[in-house]
Amino acid sequence: MAPSAARDGAREALGAPALAMAATFIAFGAAVAEAGLSLGWSLVATGAVYGMAGQLVLLQATSLGAPAFVAMISATAANARFLPMSVAIAPLLGARTGWRRLLVVPFIAITPWAAGMRVLPGLPDSARLPWFLGFSAASWAVAMATTAAGHLAAPLLPVEWRAALLFTNPLYFALLMAGDLGRRGVAPAILGGVVAAPLAWWVGGAWGLPVAGLIGGTLAFLAMRAR
Amino acid sequence: MSEADLALWLTVGIGFGLRLVGLTLGGVLRADHPAIAWASAVSVATLACFVALALVMPSGLLATVPWPARLAGVVAGAAAYLGLGRRLLPAMLAGLAGLLLARLVTG
Repeated sequence: MAPSAARDGAREALGAPALAMAATFIAFGAAVAEAGLSLGWSLVATGAVYGMAGQLVLLQATSLGAPAFVAMISATAANARFLPMSVAIAPLLGARTGWRRLLVVPFIAITPWAAGMRVLPGLPDSARLPWFLGFSAASWAVAMATTAAGHLAAPLLPVEWRAALLFTNPLYFALLMAGDLGRRGVAPAILGGVVAAPLAWWVGGAWGLPVAGLIGGTLAFLAMRAR
Repeated sequence: MSEADLALWLTVGIGFGLRLVGLTLGGVLRADHPAIAWASAVSVATLACFVALALVMPSGLLATVPWPARLAGVVAGAAAYLGLGRRLLPAMLAGLAGLLLARLVTG
């Protein structure tokens, strides 16, 4: 049961989700090269941060010359969704998994999480963890390979193509958020973030984004609670 | 170790910590607990702010793309997303095509 569940998960990951992910990770690899950071840096960011929103914010902050602590705060604010995502998926990973459920820790990111939330409830208990690990390992491998490809290919591309590649990531997240608008609490938080954008610009530097995100998100949260 | 490397490893550590805490809390807190909802709202708002800045007031190489071309990319991507069954890949390709075509016009 377990090996076949892992294979099923991996097979599903290598379909449509892999293509959309590949485009964004190629763009990330290219952006890291554009910022003058190494291939190793891009691979550690993809392999171990493994949350594109935080990766991009981290890259932007370090490109601005932010101190490490400030860059970390900015990236963590962007990836704070790891917490609610982990809370939500934990009960779906199956009972009696013991320490083995810790294996999912590096892989809780938007693509495996969204697939897991959709598929895991319909699987037998014993197949859930292997399925999720199979899916996650396959999509992680795609992310690593495409990050390397983007980093290595970027310097060979004309400047217009490199600029277009950098456009891929904000576009991807704009579309992802648009698709998520129906979920409770998402629309006010997006509005809060967009309204706070001038504040980020005004504060400037590396603190602009985390300050605006914190204020915009907190105001959206309070507005939802007040309703 | 450079600031960029230190920032990277700090972010890796905090990210692992957040996921670990979330998995542990998963059996204790409901996903709609106020603390979880607040973290979620801050995360979405930060990302929305990042996207808005990247599209409207970009920095670096993206700033060399004229705003009408960026706008054309967003409009083409959104139109394809809404018109083609909310599929991400065709929408992203349409957005890139819109940007590159508009750039041919705007220079």
